[in-house]
Amino acid sequence: MLTWLSIIIILAPLAGAISVGLLGRVMGRPPAHWITITSVAISFAASVWILGIYIAQPFEVFEKTLYIWGQSAGIPIEVGVYIDSLTIAMMCVVTFVSLMVHIYTIGYMCDDPGYQRFFAYIAFFTFSMLMLVMSNNFMQLFFGWEAVGVTSYLLIGFWFKRPTAIYANLKAFIVNRVGDFGFLLGIAAVFLVFGSLNYGEVFGHAELLSNETLTLWSGTTVSMATAACILLFIGAMGKSAQVPLHVWLPDSMEGPTPISALIHAATMVTAGVFMVARMSPLFEQSTAALTFILVIGGTTALFMGLVGIVQNDIKRVIAYSTLSQLGYMMIAVGASAYAAGVFHLMTHAFFKALLFLGAGSVIIAMHHEQDMRKMGGLWRYMPITYITMLIGSLALSGIPPFAGFYSKDSIIEAVKLSTIPGAGYAYFAAVAGVLVTAIYTFRLFFMVFHTKPRMDDKTKSHLKESPWVVTVPLILLAIPSLVIGYILIGPMLFAEHAFLNPSLYVLPQNDVLAKLGEHFHGALAFTLHAPMTLVFWLAVGGIALMWALYIKWPGIPEKIKNHFSIIYKILVEKYGFDIFNDWFFGKGTRGVGNVAWKVGDIKIIDGAMVNGSAHLVGRIAKLSRYVQSGFLNQYVQIMIIGLLGLMSWWLYAWVG
Amino acid sequence: MEIDWLKFFFYCYAALALFGATMVIFSRNSVRAVLFLVLTFVASAGLWMLLQAEFLALILILVYVGAVMVLFLFVVMMLNMNLSPLKEGFVRYLPLGILIAATIVAQLVWVYKNTDMAALHLGELAQKPADYSNITELGLALYTDYLYPFEIAGVILLVAIIAAIALTFRGPQNRRSQNIAVQVATRKDDRLRVIKDVGPDSDLKA
Amino acid sequence: MDFSLKAMLPEIFLATMTCVILVLDLYLSDRFRRVTYLLSQVTLVFAAVFAIALWDNHFVLMGGHFVSDKLAVVLKTSVFIVGFCIFTYVYDYLRERDIRISEYYILALFSMLGMSILISAGSLLTLYLGLELLSLPLYAMVAMIQRQNTASEAAMKYFVMGALASGMLLFGISLIYGSTGQIHLDALPVAINMAEQPDMLLLLGVVFVVIGIGFKFGAVPFHMWIPDVYQGSLSPIVLFVATAPKIAAFGMLSRFLWDMFGAAPETWQSFILIMAVLSLLLGNIAAIAQTNIKRLLGYSTIGHVGFIFLAIYAGNFAAGAFYVLAYALMTLAAFGILVVLSQRGIEIEDITDLAGLDKQHRWLAVMMLLVIFSLAGVPPSIGFYAKFVVLSALVDAHVAYLAVFGLVMSAIAAFYYLRVVKVMYFDEPTQTREITIPHGTNVLLSINTLATWVLGILPGGLMAICLLLY
Repeated sequence: MLTWLSIIIILAPLAGAISVGLLGRVMGRPPAHWITITSVAISFAASVWILGIYIAQPFEVFEKTLYIWGQSAGIPIEVGVYIDSLTIAMMCVVTFVSLMVHIYTIGYMCDDPGYQRFFAYIAFFTFSMLMLVMSNNFMQLFFGWEAVGVTSYLLIGFWFKRPTAIYANLKAFIVNRVGDFGFLLGIAAVFLVFGSLNYGEVFGHAELLSNETLTLWSGTTVSMATAACILLFIGAMGKSAQVPLHVWLPDSMEGPTPISALIHAATMVTAGVFMVARMSPLFEQSTAALTFILVIGGTTALFMGLVGIVQNDIKRVIAYSTLSQLGYMMIAVGASAYAAGVFHLMTHAFFKALLFLGAGSVIIAMHHEQDMRKMGGLWRYMPITYITMLIGSLALSGIPPFAGFYSKDSIIEAVKLSTIPGAGYAYFAAVAGVLVTAIYTFRLFFMVFHTKPRMDDKTKSHLKESPWVVTVPLILLAIPSLVIGYILIGPMLFAEHAFLNPSLYVLPQNDVLAKLGEHFHGALAFTLHAPMTLVFWLAVGGIALMWALYIKWPGIPEKIKNHFSIIYKILVEKYGFDIFNDWFFGKGTRGVGNVAWKVGDIKIIDGAMVNGSAHLVGRIAKLSRYVQSGFLNQYVQIMIIGLLGLMSWWLYAWVG
Repeated sequence: MEIDWLKFFFYCYAALALFGATMVIFSRNSVRAVLFLVLTFVASAGLWMLLQAEFLALILILVYVGAVMVLFLFVVMMLNMNLSPLKEGFVRYLPLGILIAATIVAQLVWVYKNTDMAALHLGELAQKPADYSNITELGLALYTDYLYPFEIAGVILLVAIIAAIALTFRGPQNRRSQNIAVQVATRKDDRLRVIKDVGPDSDLKA
Repeated sequence: MDFSLKAMLPEIFLATMTCVILVLDLYLSDRFRRVTYLLSQVTLVFAAVFAIALWDNHFVLMGGHFVSDKLAVVLKTSVFIVGFCIFTYVYDYLRERDIRISEYYILALFSMLGMSILISAGSLLTLYLGLELLSLPLYAMVAMIQRQNTASEAAMKYFVMGALASGMLLFGISLIYGSTGQIHLDALPVAINMAEQPDMLLLLGVVFVVIGIGFKFGAVPFHMWIPDVYQGSLSPIVLFVATAPKIAAFGMLSRFLWDMFGAAPETWQSFILIMAVLSLLLGNIAAIAQTNIKRLLGYSTIGHVGFIFLAIYAGNFAAGAFYVLAYALMTLAAFGILVVLSQRGIEIEDITDLAGLDKQHRWLAVMMLLVIFSLAGVPPSIGFYAKFVVLSALVDAHVAYLAVFGLVMSAIAAFYYLRVVKVMYFDEPTQTREITIPHGTNVLLSINTLATWVLGILPGGLMAICLLLY
């Protein structure tokens, strides 16, 4: 049963993607979206079904190899499924958000010429993401990892006629290659130690990892666990956009908004978090790796949030907020509170998708204007978007009882208790981040929906609420953003048999969630406890501050900007990451390339090796054409010479 | 010295066969080439005779010399081919050809010299009794042990016939037969065409 | 002796039906020529069914001249299926050009009978006869359509070189027979093993036999016929010459090198390696300079043969079998598309004839794209998997440098394959023309094309079958 369900879950979106991809032009628009939506809906239904089976009768793990693709040097390359609570949680989130985005796309892309292509891409993305999530081995994980990367690349550059889109997707692709390289090395390290790439076998012998060491250079050794985990985490840094590999994510906003919601907020970018959680038996072996994660996560959570405060593009603000929230998730997994990380991943998927789709709704109404300085006062025209965005913003800021509060608060409490080095820094970053989050979120909210309308009259006259295909997903996403935290915090994190516990492995001394659970007395108590914490007041303070600055005394932000122009400049330049990358890697590689070209190519290859290898190949080709002259007697001659050659070789080999 | 007549005849026929085969290649006149081929076949028949395969030897002479080669001769004579242009490159390629052939032959001879013939499963050629029937044995072998290859050979011949027809058959429309009715019913307009408008510059005027 | 003829049913049925069609066709007027076509198709379908029915059994019949084992079943069935597809693809082509359909079908059926006999050969004698029965109709087919002089020229070259190769093969067989006194494949290994030191005549025989095999595959330096025959004859003929005989040739190779000399691979390995390396080099590099698409595919065939021989060199016959089946499938689709495209008085000869195909017929362009990518070995197509299997076989055999060499060669190959794609998608069409494909052909061609990818994504079944053969 589970086998068939999982096959259906994986194959339904693929079938949809292939049929629409190949026949989209023939079938026209409505069949294209109906086919893909149906296929994703089937996946979602089947995922929920599996969830139902699991709840009715929990099982440790369901693992099955569906298909052995090939075998190389004794390593089977397999396609399989590995279903446990973590997988089920991810499956449900992915398929649900994907379904919402599919429906939303009908409205958002309605006048785009690449309509069918878009549906084929996102259905294929769903398939890839499910492959990644449901994999039972590292090979398939890597396949899914790359496949989502490719779809992300294609979708960022979806409007391939815009130069900025092409630049952005190239950037995403290259930055991700850096991460993937680390990831691949990590997988190689795992194979080196375990001799297998199967999850079951690897996790079963996780302690092998800590016994091995890796000699970097003579005298300096690191534990294999640290090396492998940090390498794997570098992969996660690329995919989940952690500092310093985060630079691609803000630019990826060049893609259509549904993509920003689906790929660059809810699902793909969380693959890194998922991967670390999935590999928890390995990461637990190395405290150093966990420290590394904590530092990176903390830095991302705080400093990327700060950049969000000065952005004016509505989508970019949300993009930086995504970076910051991903940082939170990384803090959680770094503090060994994997369940909290995954929990935040889930709630974040809902409210961030909601925010993006809401932003998209605003963008539709504004005729694809994304600059917040040209918006304002929209609440009057689009009430549904307004309300749902408000829910999303409150959830993001962590105001109880919205979903974000529960997950974020658990993370902060967990990291507070953690004893892993670096936890102190991460705790500070997380707490400070709460204020920052509230600030950028409500800056956006007030600038868009309140304050004086700043758009031109023509746009203003066309302002209206978006069609139902846009608002229905908003509403459907708003509901979980509202309630899911309250409902799930107990069962997910603190219950006796918490949902995720069977899939995660935490060393007893690291298990901060268990310690936290001792003080947990139900979701209601958790909620009521909020006003007694600093975090809550930071969030509320942030909101109030924004209300004061943007509604009550709207002149102040400009003054602040002028007074602290240096800080402002640093933030607008995003700490100079892009400038540095352009200068160092861009110019640097071009420089190295130039030298290599001038010395290597022109002098050595072109000069010495007969005008470049292509030329060489061409010459050989011409020569062989000369031999193939068309004269029969020459052909026969060559055959006879061949005979002579083989005979002589034979005599030489056997006799001589 | 006792002369081994069997060996003597063997070498005679073998030399004759080789000479014939060489001359097929070297003769300038194609008719003579065919005749040398006939000589080669006859010499081979003699070799088979020495192996006590009388029936095969005779069949070889009857079929190849009597039928195939005569047909060949007719074709060659009717076509009256001039071989000299075909031989143009001959001298040019001769040295290389001889070199290659010589090397291959040398290698083959070397292999032969280094093979322990006694170890081969050749079996001594037994002297058959006088009433030994070549035809019976051949028939038995062909229709029992070698039935399948024999039948395949039959199919190959069938295919050869079909292929030959397919290549030469130009379709029924080429038949030059007389249709009396059409001839009788023909009218002037069908056969004569009046060319009008002969201009001043036309060639026809002159 | 076992007289149960059940095991020979595919051959007997094929032979009988071909003769029936041959006679029946004489009495059919041109309007009913379709009957010949349909009967040929029915014949192939039934022959394939009969062949599959023999899967679980191992027969040795006709005094050891006939063998039916799993290898025979797989290869025969593939030949018949390939034949079925070919017959469908070419029907409209021949129809439109007023070419005598019956001859094409009948000769092709006879040739497939020869392939079947060759694949099932139990002795050196049937092996040779099967090869001749296979080749003879091919020579005739190449020469048959004399619309252009190149056809006769190609046929002449093919025939002369084929005869020479047959002669060498026969000479090799006679040496083996002379050395061992055996012509049965199952008796030969015994005879070879009996002699502790295999004698020189036998080994020399192997050289000649390997050359015969190399010629049939078109391995360098016995490849010279391939480019000229591919270019010189019409697409339907090339479609046939390029696909089914290669499967049969693999049968021959397998019978010789595995059934007979499998226990002593050192007797033939080095020749196979030489031919493999030369084929890879020449096939892939010479293809770059080609402008004629059929010639280009001819050279690419030589390159693929190099890969097949690499697998054989590594001793992994299963990988070789997989590669040859994959090759047949891809080539079938590639030439099938060329045949389908050649319509309304246009023959696809040069690569530029494909210019702007994307704008003329989108689906055909997509199919060609898929096939070309598969030939180039883009993952996850069957072409990629076949190469992957061969390369990993090489790595397993501890000759990783050959795997690297193969990789480099396929990288070069990608270059000329991509050129075709570029022409199809980015060049402007030279003329506007309307392309119509009959419904049945379209469906079969689509299945064929998609199979090159589906089997690449899910190769396990086919690979498992190939592994069962050895």
